[in-house]
Amino acid sequence: MTEPRTTPEAPAAPPAAPPATPRWDRLGPATAARLEEAALEILERTGVEIPVPEALDLLRTAGAAVDGSRVRIPERLVTRALEAAPKEVALHDRAGRPAIALAGNAAFFGPGSDCLNILDHRTGERRRATSADLREGLALADALPNIDFVMSMFLPADVDQTLADRHQAAAMLALTRKPIVLVTYELAGMLDALEMAELVAGGREALAERPQVAVYINVTRGLLCNEDAVRKLLVCAERGVPALWIPVTSGGTTGPITLAGTIAVNTAGILAGVVLSQLAREGAPLVVPGFGGDSLDLRTMVDPYCGPEPKGVAASLAHRWGLPMFSLGGGSDSKAVDGQAAAEASLTMLADALAGGHLIHDSGYLESGLTGSLAQLVVCDEIAGWIRALLRPVDTSDGALALDLVDQLGVDGSFLETDHTLERYRERWYPALFDRRGFEPWRAAGATTLAERAAVRVDELLGRHAPTPLDPDVEKAIRAVVDRAEATAGL
Amino acid sequence: MTETEFQAMRQAVVDGDADAAEAAARASIAAGIPPLVAIDEGFMPGMKEVGAGFAAGDLFLPDMMLAARAMQRALAVLEPELKAASVERTVAGRVVIGTVAGDIHEIGKNLVGMLLSTSGFEVHDLGVNVAPERFVEAAREHRADIVGLSALLTTTMTGQRAVIAALTEAGMRPPVKVMVGGAPVTGAWAEEIGADGYSEDAMGAVELAKRLVGGGATGAGAEGPAR
Repeated sequence: MTEPRTTPEAPAAPPAAPPATPRWDRLGPATAARLEEAALEILERTGVEIPVPEALDLLRTAGAAVDGSRVRIPERLVTRALEAAPKEVALHDRAGRPAIALAGNAAFFGPGSDCLNILDHRTGERRRATSADLREGLALADALPNIDFVMSMFLPADVDQTLADRHQAAAMLALTRKPIVLVTYELAGMLDALEMAELVAGGREALAERPQVAVYINVTRGLLCNEDAVRKLLVCAERGVPALWIPVTSGGTTGPITLAGTIAVNTAGILAGVVLSQLAREGAPLVVPGFGGDSLDLRTMVDPYCGPEPKGVAASLAHRWGLPMFSLGGGSDSKAVDGQAAAEASLTMLADALAGGHLIHDSGYLESGLTGSLAQLVVCDEIAGWIRALLRPVDTSDGALALDLVDQLGVDGSFLETDHTLERYRERWYPALFDRRGFEPWRAAGATTLAERAAVRVDELLGRHAPTPLDPDVEKAIRAVVDRAEATAGL
Repeated sequence: MTETEFQAMRQAVVDGDADAAEAAARASIAAGIPPLVAIDEGFMPGMKEVGAGFAAGDLFLPDMMLAARAMQRALAVLEPELKAASVERTVAGRVVIGTVAGDIHEIGKNLVGMLLSTSGFEVHDLGVNVAPERFVEAAREHRADIVGLSALLTTTMTGQRAVIAALTEAGMRPPVKVMVGGAPVTGAWAEEIGADGYSEDAMGAVELAKRLVGGGATGAGAEGPAR
């Protein structure tokens, strides 16, 4: 990012906002170009599997080589699609006001989705998550000041598992005013969830113009697009709903073990999605992964959430194309709200934020995504606040520099009592959870650990925050969509 | 001399050195060691050592795979000798394994299959998205002792129940044991659907399989580590 320039003879303009903090570009132009070139070679040479006739027709007509359901995509289609895809996607709050703009160096934080288990902050027990946990998690995410968007967090075990996505969508729309990332199973689930979102937004057009929701589309692997993923992408493009096209290629299993090899394969899949979405409708809002390149841990066979080496790689590529992205930071492989969890959440959130990772999800994840923790979500909220302060540009205005005051107080004056301090001390970041007390006050207050204070804060926040209810008619209509899905399934 | 030769066989497997394993197999024939003895006293202890290292978290999956490759190369030399002598290798048990219908996740299932093979089981891997009837056919065809069912998703794990029902309908239960696994699977789930056991991880699955063919299995809840 370069500083906006003003010519010397220009009239005095109002003070410009300070320039944004420079972004960390993990790859640099040459390495990014090589990875992109490799992905393009894979697209042309190996191709991708896209098992949906309508999609194949679009690709064939545009000039891709279609052989059965294997599609080989030439570079010119990719170039055109990258130009056509919107460079900013804005998500809105429930009232339709712009909330978060995915563009530039922006970094927004939110939880993940679909944890099977919850680490209960009240009992310390790890158990299956329920609908009650889903609701508490959403209310907490709605309350937390540094959580910018919401995902379901939990997969409730007490509803029919084939319809859990409907229950999650209904709960999210009811319990938060923040932007939402929807995750659904099949196409039918997405259509139901979008119908619910339209009820809240006030119609299909309103949802497209001021979307509170974006749809997460899980793609089997880089070169293998599952039918539901492709169909979801086509529907989102047609309706103008932001789609997150997320192929996941795992190094050593579904892709090469090397970082470059896995990234190249996954990038090929990402670019195939960009092409398809823009062929379906030019200018369709699309969000690409700002993560990828992980490998299965070949000692434990666990899919790790916070390996260091892929950090920033996919983000560098997304910035190269200028596309909005969905990143992965804030999760941990730890089983407890402990030092490892705090360290992994901090490192990954910071890396993604420095890389300009836009939508950074998975705050509150433990056990590599199998378990969610409300206490850990509160810890992540604190980390997010810290990072936000870190990224804030340095204010070098006259008021901030206070040179007159410096001169007035001279070499040995005290600044504490000055109006300047009293007016501006709040510009500094203060923790809500990290403890800065001296030893004796800390001991007197119970000598608590971060995890203990986080668990207390969960209940404090839940006790005093009531999510703004939906209009009762809208809530009823959403309920009817869930009921209809249950009736269709014969429940 | 034999101890030195056994040591070379074991070491070739531990090192994942297929050339050395083949050479050791040939040397054992030349030395007149019966092939079954070479397998059981020479090569298998190497596999066990590597398996234990993996279970302890000291070794990586590729170490296991290299060891298995070395083992396979030795077996390729020794098996014709076994045939010529009309000796049959005893297997720990016959296992039919697959990922249930609607689910295409295979990594966990592949790992269990590989560890079972290297632990002396005869493994028939049916792949992913396997229909219940296919499990029944394969179990019959291969005279399976155990059917292993993998599922990664809460939406597909109900498929494990369907396979157990199909096996029951075919009159193959209880002689054919069923073990289940996958991220959402728990001991309680295994018990609910009438499986003979579940394991949280692949190494546990090997222990479970050994117990199941040993006939000591007593109810799903007893199997696998506590959660």
